[in-house]
Amino acid sequence: MKILTLVRQVPDAEARVKISGGQVDLEGATLVMDGMDEYGVEEALRLREGGAAVEEIVALATGPKRVEDALRTALAMGVDRAIHVETDQALDPIALSRVVAQVAQAEGVSLILVGGQEADWDSQALGAATAERLGWPQLTWTNELALEGDTLTGRHDVDDGNESFRVPLPAVVTTQQGLNEPRYPTLPNIMKAKKKELRKDTLDAYGAAPTVRVVGSDIQTRARLNKMIDGKDPQAAAAELLDLLRNEAKVIA
Amino acid sequence: MIDFSLTDEQKQLQQLARDFARKEIIPVAAEYDQKEELPWPVVEKAFEVGLLNVAIPEHAGGLGLGMVDECLIGEELAYGCMGIYTVLMASELGITPILVGGTEEQQKRFLTPMTEKPSLAAFALSEPNNGSDAAGMHTTAVLDGDEWVINGTKMWISNGGVADLTVVFATTDRQGGHRATVALVVPKDTPGLSYNKIKHKLGQRASLTSELVFENVRVPRANQLGGLGDGFKIAMKTLDKTRIPVAAGSVGIARRALDESVKYAKEREAFGKPIAQFQAIQFKLAQMAMGIETGRLMYLKAAWLVDQNLPHGMESAIAKAYCSDMAFDAANEAIQVHGGYGYVGEYPVEKLLRDVKLNQIYEGTNEIQRVVISRNLLK
Repeated sequence: MKILTLVRQVPDAEARVKISGGQVDLEGATLVMDGMDEYGVEEALRLREGGAAVEEIVALATGPKRVEDALRTALAMGVDRAIHVETDQALDPIALSRVVAQVAQAEGVSLILVGGQEADWDSQALGAATAERLGWPQLTWTNELALEGDTLTGRHDVDDGNESFRVPLPAVVTTQQGLNEPRYPTLPNIMKAKKKELRKDTLDAYGAAPTVRVVGSDIQTRARLNKMIDGKDPQAAAAELLDLLRNEAKVIA
Repeated sequence: MIDFSLTDEQKQLQQLARDFARKEIIPVAAEYDQKEELPWPVVEKAFEVGLLNVAIPEHAGGLGLGMVDECLIGEELAYGCMGIYTVLMASELGITPILVGGTEEQQKRFLTPMTEKPSLAAFALSEPNNGSDAAGMHTTAVLDGDEWVINGTKMWISNGGVADLTVVFATTDRQGGHRATVALVVPKDTPGLSYNKIKHKLGQRASLTSELVFENVRVPRANQLGGLGDGFKIAMKTLDKTRIPVAAGSVGIARRALDESVKYAKEREAFGKPIAQFQAIQFKLAQMAMGIETGRLMYLKAAWLVDQNLPHGMESAIAKAYCSDMAFDAANEAIQVHGGYGYVGEYPVEKLLRDVKLNQIYEGTNEIQRVVISRNLLK
């Protein structure tokens, strides 16, 4: 079987984001593979290392030339080859799902792994839209996966806890933090990745023109309360902190 | 003609080193500094991801990275902690004489085992009474049949005593000057080799610095690098290369000093506004940025010359002296930006100053670098 793992490129979590001309300005920002997708790449590798009959792991990305860097990271982590659908157009999740579904069919993959949400586009729609197009089952927000033959088992989050599932392949799975701890692309693997295939493709073949256009962006700013607690009496300070966390911030029960 | 872009692989190894510094070095740097302890777990992790001993050539089972690659990694790791980076850097320093003066057979024999498990190398040149005047060394090597017998004491040896192999420089005739010097590879646990850890260093406390004592230490003649009399030349050729990572590490320290200063200057308020809004602070930040950018250009140029097999002695000396002086100033100013808080361990800037001081001293003092530079001007 083959696994397709989607790779998106987003600003590093520590990057400072600017807006210019109503658009997010990525100039000078460090761009990395989306963490959510990284869990997918890692899980594909672990499924194979765990003994599942995975004959090939393919990474797919769409976007401008710079997205190659994220694909090379996936190759260096251990993915076998990569496909880059190069375009300067920003694809909304529905348009992107058209590309993912067609590549999955053309490549004959039976498992698609995509991040549950994207750091810079939080629609959470890509996995579902891809599954819908293909008529495959989808398992969202997984935190454990195992493959036995053509059957995928695992656990995933639901509103008030989690469920265990069993599903025959093909299927679409969305990944999230907690599924695994992604490996570093080691230096020897970075060197080996040089020789792996990174195939270029164009968007026209997929009929995936985006219909949603971003016309403006704003950075969310949060006013801080800057509440200070007098620490002279540690016990009273701790009690006050607990009270604030419990009753004002409501972050503990 | 000039292209400042990195290759795809270089961008990735830089990113790997940056992630490694952020996740594996920064969280433990203060702790190892306080404990004055070599961080073996970090060395082991560096080995796992391939960041240890990157210069070992492909024919000996290594990655054979170039000097530009090594320096890009060095800047990132030193950003996390110069002391911890010194452990790795000093190992590359210990390997380099074998690359410079060893045969392919020697490179395989000594270096291939180092690719198989986490292991360090060391370079033993300085002595208690002898540093910059390296050719005047007192440690002796006497040929006895097919073995060299080494006697003497080496000082300030990074990784000294814990390294799997140490390249030691000795003289076969104390009156013979540099023409009597020889470079010998001494494996760990060779009888007669012992070490004393040097304690209470100002900075770089995560790096182990030792006094190495040789008492009738015997190594086979096959462990001799180059010919008789080549020792000094091998040492100098080695340092011409390895002082470039010192420059790169210095740039890493300066970048950390700037980042910490920018962060603090935006948070700290005085006279009703963040101190970042005062020109006195802004100019310090600008000065640091000027040093970092120009320093990086210089270490990259020197490293590029090495990779092109072009002469690089003067450029590496400029890079080392310039970058370490620049980084010392940056760390010093970072403390000034932080005021009283910068003087105590709660913020990482006081450690930057303690650590960077050594960059002005080791692998040839900055005064020796200026001797190298001026000799090139006047020859």
